[in-house]
Amino acid sequence: MSDASTAVAVSAPQPVQAARARSGFWMRLFRNPLTVAAAVWVTLLLLAWLWPGLLAPHDPYAGDVTLTRTFEGPSWDHWLGTDGQGRDLYSRVVFGARFAVNSILIAMVVAIGLGVPLGLFSGWRGGRADRVVMWVNDVLFSLPIVLLAMAVIIILEPSLPSAMLGVGIAMATRFVRLTRAVTLAEKEELYVDAARITGLSPSAILRRYITPNLLPSLIVQVAIISGAVILIGATLSFLGIGAKLDDPDWGVMLARARFDFRLEGIWQIVPAGGALVLTVLAFNLLGDGIRDSLGRDAASSSLTVPRKVALPPVVQLHASGAVLSIRDLAVGFPAPGGMVNRVLSDVSLEVYPGETLGVVGESGSGKSMTMLAALGLTPAPGYLSQGSVSFDGREVTFLPEQEWQEIRGRDIGMIFQEPVAALNPALRVGRQLMQSLLVHTDMSKSQARARAAELLAEVQVPDPDRRLDQYPHEFSGGMAQRVGIAMALACEPKLLIADEPTTALDVTVQGQILDLMAEVQQRHGMAVILITHDLGVIADAADRVLVMYAGQVVETASVSTLFSRPRHPYTRALLDTMPQSHRGHGDLPVIGGVVPSAAAWPDGCRFAPRCEFATDQCRTSVPLLEAVGTDLVRCVRHAEFEFGPHAETSA
Amino acid sequence: MTAPFLEVENLHVHFAGRSRLFRSAMPTVKAVNGISFAIEPHRTFGLVGESGSGKSTVARAVLQLTDVTAGTIRLDGADVTRVPREAELAFRKRVQAVLQDPYSSLNQVHQVRTIVGDGITRHFGIKPGPEREQRILALLDEVGLAGEFLDRYPYEMSGGQRQRVSIARALAVEPGLIIADEATSALDVSIQSQVINVLRRVQADTGVAFLFIGHDLDVVRHVSDDVGVMYLGYLVEQGGADGVYDLPAHPYTEMLIASVPVPDPAAQAERRALRQTFKKDTEPPSPSDLPVGCPFANRCPVAMDICTELMPEATAARHGGHVRCHLHTSGPVLAGESVVPYIRSASTAR
Repeated sequence: MSDASTAVAVSAPQPVQAARARSGFWMRLFRNPLTVAAAVWVTLLLLAWLWPGLLAPHDPYAGDVTLTRTFEGPSWDHWLGTDGQGRDLYSRVVFGARFAVNSILIAMVVAIGLGVPLGLFSGWRGGRADRVVMWVNDVLFSLPIVLLAMAVIIILEPSLPSAMLGVGIAMATRFVRLTRAVTLAEKEELYVDAARITGLSPSAILRRYITPNLLPSLIVQVAIISGAVILIGATLSFLGIGAKLDDPDWGVMLARARFDFRLEGIWQIVPAGGALVLTVLAFNLLGDGIRDSLGRDAASSSLTVPRKVALPPVVQLHASGAVLSIRDLAVGFPAPGGMVNRVLSDVSLEVYPGETLGVVGESGSGKSMTMLAALGLTPAPGYLSQGSVSFDGREVTFLPEQEWQEIRGRDIGMIFQEPVAALNPALRVGRQLMQSLLVHTDMSKSQARARAAELLAEVQVPDPDRRLDQYPHEFSGGMAQRVGIAMALACEPKLLIADEPTTALDVTVQGQILDLMAEVQQRHGMAVILITHDLGVIADAADRVLVMYAGQVVETASVSTLFSRPRHPYTRALLDTMPQSHRGHGDLPVIGGVVPSAAAWPDGCRFAPRCEFATDQCRTSVPLLEAVGTDLVRCVRHAEFEFGPHAETSA
Repeated sequence: MTAPFLEVENLHVHFAGRSRLFRSAMPTVKAVNGISFAIEPHRTFGLVGESGSGKSTVARAVLQLTDVTAGTIRLDGADVTRVPREAELAFRKRVQAVLQDPYSSLNQVHQVRTIVGDGITRHFGIKPGPEREQRILALLDEVGLAGEFLDRYPYEMSGGQRQRVSIARALAVEPGLIIADEATSALDVSIQSQVINVLRRVQADTGVAFLFIGHDLDVVRHVSDDVGVMYLGYLVEQGGADGVYDLPAHPYTEMLIASVPVPDPAAQAERRALRQTFKKDTEPPSPSDLPVGCPFANRCPVAMDICTELMPEATAARHGGHVRCHLHTSGPVLAGESVVPYIRSASTAR
């Protein structure tokens, strides 16, 4: 599990939160005052479209027969003044909404009606059908929209509906592209395969599986394109090939005002122009607002991060001689309602030169988070709320980021789970290897290149000189992980942190990488922290082990003790559930239930709800980490248990 | 011996490289190269191999999600290699699947009720209502989920719960075969064992046949009656699950076994020693450029001259199955015995 996703997994949404997230859409949407203003304007526009008579005091077509009240400015009778025929400009603007919304409706019905089915068809069928559709679409897409509208007007008749038919066809190309892109992406999703396997017909899959996933981006597009449609409609009317000359259409009004304003002043432009600008703006703002509120990250960005609450550590006793020592580390994440999820609490560990410390736990146990927090990389909005970290004898808990950067990459090497993703795809592997050498040492470029080749040879990449000039995508997962190890080794670090370094690799490659890490460690004598969910990997590579569950350390022991005499029921249960522990084909022992999320850590012992030995005491009192010889265990009943390697418990 | 429910005979799946204007044609990718196996009702056939071995392509071919290049697939004796469109619905009712990623194999916009109920409506014509609800509840119960899950959306469930829903969805149409493609690989250890037990119980209750595909030989051995080991589209060894595990006749099978670390430091030290006898820096050949001889030859610690010249034929193995390896007919002539002692002695001799 990668670093970022661990944070997410820790605070995986509970049902209640998910429901809240759904209603949260409207709250997020209307938190932005600009979006509210835009929504109000669009609502007014719709009102004016439905019942213009309610909003407009005058007949928009009826002029002043006496022609005495023409070209007036705003007054009590005529809020926005009158035009050259004495007609009320405010009423004409209100009735203009009819033309605007009708334009949008016609254009959108055509655009969506043509674009979405074609996009679905093209994306779903693929192959030749797709190529033909997209070829025609691209040609239409490249034509100016006004040109298409004019073509339709010439074929039919000059009217707003026929102009909008043309605009609709032009806009359909946008929807074809959008729909096709979404369909192509969704088609690759496993759930579409699953739907086919269930026996659903393609039309049912498109209707019920793909379309709902298309809706969010479609709504955003509709809002933004609506703005554009109004503008184009007004342009056409302005040119005299849209609405009729008499109509209270905003474009027509502007076209008239163009002649009048030289004689009568600028005011004539303001009502229709203003309505046009505000409407286009409103649609765009609404589109932006919807898009921002739909994002998956939108929910978490709304949480408030408490200001730094970490206190300077009281005198902390760090183990002397340890490369890295962590004492009582805690990390909090702000949660809805001003709560704090403590994803880590009281985590302590130390690792010595030449030693491999295995950190094992299931997803959400906090093992990756511990490392990130210790290295000053706590992902926002999380924060260090307690604890002390010392690296190489130096207190580093609140080291400024700049000083951290010098330590990370030089004294601490890191290896990640996704080896190819951990490399920059745009840079040759050689350059990436040389980078940290050039930053952290005073080598020249040619020296750095020679050293980079040496490093690749050390991690057993065949033909290192040629490989230096290749890009990451030319490396298999196993070879890329070797590069990752080479990068981590570049500056002879004192500590190597490997976060699930073999999880994404094939088992046969996993063995090679574990062997390589052991070899490298023997040669350089650095300390290694190996984070994994696989107890087999721990048995293979670790000297000492730290077992984590639900953000806490539950047991530490030497590797031989942990497997021969596990003390915590969780460790025992984990070992039992592995198929490797069983010869036969019978039912496997299970740990019931699921790993709780940070928002719902149980009171008392966090493993109690899943533990077969839990008593009332376990559910109420918080167990402390107790020393048993050189080992530690967090279980109030540990003294009663005598877990053997394969034996049943005596409890 | 009951008649097999699924028979796959000499299956080939090749993906032709598309030729394009101004660009040289892409080479053909030979994903599956002549695979045969059969599964009887009540039994589980495990297919194991590394990524790129073609094991998922076999699943997709059986599921009609990819075109078969050559060979025959039979279901209950009837040819289903290429199911015509009008027969597809009937085919879907008999073969179902549980796919790997519990996060992307369920549609986020549907509740469990719809996810499980779709198949019931589609195949039994039972419209949403009390009768369908009863059936869904019974299915959820079978996979160990309470009734309250009816209204849940996928994002409100953990990985293990989602995988149970996937199993319930597959069971809904009462199929004769369920293909589980890496169905437990993405789960945590403690959850993996729960899901494995659910699969076992479902088989005991319904008699469904399983094609269980995985990369972890220990997991595959545990759930399977028979296993097949795939390497670059070839079935290099197949036989009873325990037999293949205890008496591996192909060096690749032994490499897979030695590569899975066991949660026991002493036993693991032995496995580590064994895995270190395999070559470290050679990568498998590309499926679009397969060698003439055995595809494993360049990684094999005991390869002979003949291995690079000729693809070995299947021969009988001691465990009762078959193996495709020259060691059994030439060189040391192991005649189907386990290959482990030979690899050990060869590595100490070196």
